[in-house]
Amino acid sequence: MIQIKEISKSFGGKKVLDQVTMRLDQGEVVVVIGPSGSGKSTLLRCINALEQPEEGEVWLCGQNMATADLNHIRSIAGMVFQQFNLFPHMSVLDNLTLGPKIVQGMPLKEAKDLARALLHKVGLADQSSAFPHQLSGGQQQRVAIARALAMKPKVMLFDEPTSALDPELIGEVLAVMRQLAEEGMTMVVVTHEMGFARSVANRVVFMDQGKIKAQGPTERFFNAPSHPRLQNFLSKVLNH
Amino acid sequence: MTSFQFDASVMLETLPLLMEGARLTLWVTLLGCFFGFLFGVAAGVSRSLDSPWARRLAGIYIELIRGTPLMVQVMFLYFGLPLILGLRFPPLTAGVVAIALNSGAYIAEVARGAIAEVAKGQMEAARCIGLTQAQALRFVIWPQAFRAMIPPLGNQFVISLKDTSLLVVIGVGELTRSGQEVIAVNFRAFEVWLTVALLYLCLTLGISLSLRFLEKKYKLVQ
Ligand SMILES: Nc1ncnc2c1ncn2[C@@H]1O[C@H](COP(=O)(O)OP(=O)(O)O)[C@@H](O)[C@H]1O
Ligand SMILES: [Mg+2]
Repeated sequence: MIQIKEISKSFGGKKVLDQVTMRLDQGEVVVVIGPSGSGKSTLLRCINALEQPEEGEVWLCGQNMATADLNHIRSIAGMVFQQFNLFPHMSVLDNLTLGPKIVQGMPLKEAKDLARALLHKVGLADQSSAFPHQLSGGQQQRVAIARALAMKPKVMLFDEPTSALDPELIGEVLAVMRQLAEEGMTMVVVTHEMGFARSVANRVVFMDQGKIKAQGPTERFFNAPSHPRLQNFLSKVLNH
Repeated sequence: MTSFQFDASVMLETLPLLMEGARLTLWVTLLGCFFGFLFGVAAGVSRSLDSPWARRLAGIYIELIRGTPLMVQVMFLYFGLPLILGLRFPPLTAGVVAIALNSGAYIAEVARGAIAEVAKGQMEAARCIGLTQAQALRFVIWPQAFRAMIPPLGNQFVISLKDTSLLVVIGVGELTRSGQEVIAVNFRAFEVWLTVALLYLCLTLGISLSLRFLEKKYKLVQ
């Protein structure tokens, strides 16, 4: 489903990704952890070509991102941001229908039905005419997830989806993500929520200084952390 | 002291004639700024595109206009250009075109700034659901940028209105020209220019107030 082959990316001479290789099969949920600045966001952004790696290749659903029609292939990977990035001038429903309408040319009625179904799925059926600023952070993030799902993506990329949320709102967003995983969605999740990682991820990847320093099936990853920097990182995040 | 005597009745008598000029001033401004807005948005959006050609072309237009006096632009359009085109626009047309081209260059900078101010995440979110850059600009960035543009747009509107008085040099019968014509007959420079000034003031105040109203109406809650 996703194949990342030895990609490297620098910003202003600083190597942010250094020969990263990773693959993801259909239906897999991979959680990416690591200290801030280790390149997690950049890795996600290379998967849907928001950034272009200088070296290496990214393959998404059998297409090489370097040569694919980006406008088309981008919607194959839905992305959810830390800051939600909802369109503030549109109602919740319009946020969801924009992509299907404009990109897929879906008739308005069909797009609205799809949007309502997705809002129902994320528990916000009654908020379709609200504007983003009227919603709590947790609700906004659930709308953002529904907006990405409206494009019927094959993969969902989450970049610290709960980091900007008040603690009491984190659960509702994680619950939606958990449900998605159970339905078989292929997911890459950057998060510090170790409980979520333990219970949902098939595999965990630890990044540090632009490299994947450790990875493995979830159980083994947490019970027998192999790398000293990973042990150090885990002891920090698990203790608070 | 001079023997000057202020005569308020002159102001009242000349008002209808001057109002004619004021009406034309408003028309030229509205038309000029309408097309100026279109030029400005086109150039401002071009400045924000990835394509270097679009950016460069818009850049040349903006620099050319902002780097030369409006008076010279007006003279060039009305007296200079006909020599190579072989036809002369009527003064009013030349005036509207000059105001449009001129305000367009300033509005372009306003538009570019407003587009740049919309959070970077908005463009990314739009691209992530598959919109092209042009579609993202049109449906996501522009509606937000436009709201931010209203106050500076009002400003440019007021400036352009005052700029129309320069069109006196090509004989457009706007407010300033009407003032000159009235004075040529009655020699009451003080009362007439005072009336002209007051009429300009009414027009600019009217514009400022309507734009403030628009701004309130389209205020965006973040
Ligand atoms: N667009 C950019 N321009 C310059 N530097 C960047 C850019 N994006 C990320 N970086 C830098 O790359 C490094 C890794 O960033 P990021 O991938 O966001 O890490 P993480 O998500 O793990 O915190 C950081 O040092 C960051 O400052
Ligand atoms: Mg990050």
